[in-house]
Amino acid sequence: MIPTGINGLDDMLGDGIPEGSKMVYSMEAGVNGQLFMLSTLASALAKKLSCLVILPYTTVDSFRRDAMATRSGSIDLCSKNLTYIDAIDRERIQKSTRSADTAQKEWRAKVAKICRDKQVDVIFVYIDLLCEDFGIEQALDIFEEENDEPKRTLIVEYLNLEGETQLDRFIHDFAFDVVISIKSSFPPMASFDYFTLVHTSWSPLPARSVPFIITEGRIAPYIPRIVVTGPAKAGKSTFITTASHDGLSVDRFGLDNDSTTVAMDFGLLDWKGFYITLYGTPGQPRFDLMIPGMFKHAMGVILIVDATKPESLPRAKQMIGLITERNMPMIIAANKKDLPSRLSEAEIRTALEIRKDIRVVFLSAKKKAEVKRMLRSFVDFITQFPY
Amino acid sequence: MYSYKTGIEQIDKLSGGFEAGANILILAPPMSYADQLAYALTKPAVGEYAITLSTNERAAEVVDFFKVAGSDKRFIGVIDAITKSSTPSIVDTPRLMFVSSPTDLTGIGIKFSNMIETIFEGDFSDGEAGLFPPPIRFCVNSISTLLMYRKLEVLYQFLHVLTAKIKKIDGVGIYILNSESFDDKTLSLIKQLMNCVIEIKIEQNISYLRIMGIRGINPDWQKFSVNKGQVTILL
Repeated sequence: MIPTGINGLDDMLGDGIPEGSKMVYSMEAGVNGQLFMLSTLASALAKKLSCLVILPYTTVDSFRRDAMATRSGSIDLCSKNLTYIDAIDRERIQKSTRSADTAQKEWRAKVAKICRDKQVDVIFVYIDLLCEDFGIEQALDIFEEENDEPKRTLIVEYLNLEGETQLDRFIHDFAFDVVISIKSSFPPMASFDYFTLVHTSWSPLPARSVPFIITEGRIAPYIPRIVVTGPAKAGKSTFITTASHDGLSVDRFGLDNDSTTVAMDFGLLDWKGFYITLYGTPGQPRFDLMIPGMFKHAMGVILIVDATKPESLPRAKQMIGLITERNMPMIIAANKKDLPSRLSEAEIRTALEIRKDIRVVFLSAKKKAEVKRMLRSFVDFITQFPY
Repeated sequence: MYSYKTGIEQIDKLSGGFEAGANILILAPPMSYADQLAYALTKPAVGEYAITLSTNERAAEVVDFFKVAGSDKRFIGVIDAITKSSTPSIVDTPRLMFVSSPTDLTGIGIKFSNMIETIFEGDFSDGEAGLFPPPIRFCVNSISTLLMYRKLEVLYQFLHVLTAKIKKIDGVGIYILNSESFDDKTLSLIKQLMNCVIEIKIEQNISYLRIMGIRGINPDWQKFSVNKGQVTILL
């Protein structure tokens, strides 16, 4: 497998793409997606694979400088395992040939020769201008191996101005194994980019999208909102505080000197390459009106219940009703597992009347390792959830 | 809705200026100072921002024009598609960004989005606040150069995306196209993306323009001049 070098995407693909497969990064105009190709190139080089990079739009020098600036210098673009064909080569071929047909043959011969001489494993192509020179079929034909040649991995970056129809062509007409679409929102809406794993040839998964942010020269998948809800005093604020690097809780102290959240908790995590924002709801029924609004843009819900208080479960069940109106990933965190007389999973499932596919995880919200383990499994669930 | 003043008294009085979201094509023969007219219409009013995609001039030359015209350079951005081919080491700043060549539509699209985002996030003008939501004037100087490097169909799709984004942010787009170098099909296709067309002609060393597509504005030929970023209709 060749990792794409992008957390989350590699998880969704199952550690990367199989060697010998064809993958396209389809980029909408204006989306900041150049790091996808560079991350995958960095991964291939890290595996000591021989790579050919085809850059008809720029020179090697410009490409290296741009890439170093984009990737914060963490990629060896002068590696002996790396060979380039650039804009100067394109110009030379254009000048030395009289027709598009002969130019395409010249390209094909040049690529084949480099692949033989350098025993190339992976070809990275910025294919935009080649499509314009020869049409997309002939442009892709440049990289087709002869029958007696070993199968190489082909990774293409494509400026997609045509939209969904072009993605269909990559899947059905050109038999690409992996199709990833990178899109962006644009001001005045809140600005964020997201990638969608549109197709994998080895698994009939539904298309799913993950927002991402770019930080310190890497792509970090970003889950903008996971809602943490549950009955009062189940441990939601503790859970968010334990999980977060930065957090805020708006609490009020009662007569018994216990605090209870009266507005909401907020926590941020930068963990395992994912950026996650946690929103905690108050547990009292009088705040239920605000909960559907918080679910509106959520990518998942963690319902925290106190595993030692069976009397709180009818309230938890009521809250599940609010969640299941929306089709979104949910997990039950049964808190206070280290206390005696806790309920069993079967008792909780029966009381909450939840489906079998909804997981119940026992933890102590005070223990970082247990909270993180639960979050990791929930993030995996979110990135694979058929919305 | 916000209106972008043109600086041309007769137009601003009658129509209030360009409507937010408008895309305007300047159709002009060579040597007709179309770039001067385009820059004059792109010159930001107080609190506005201007971005120029320069396929013909270096960023420094574009910024100089606006400085001479009296604009605050903290509100001027340039996406330069010229300089990087000769100076690969040049680095981006929030207001000056560079792409390797006019062929690089991917790079142009990314820099355009980045610059717009920087403006919306308030990180563009060294802490000096403009209006919000930010009124943005965008100029392409010119489509003709892009057409020399890319096929019409591809460029049409690309401009379709750009003009749609200008509409979305309630900006105004100004695009120069050489009227003598391209066939009718090309002109007609590019016009489809626009709300308004300003045609320029030169007769006996006198410049004329006519404006089509702004309600209330006389579409007849009128003499004009441009001096230090100020357009004057000569009566």
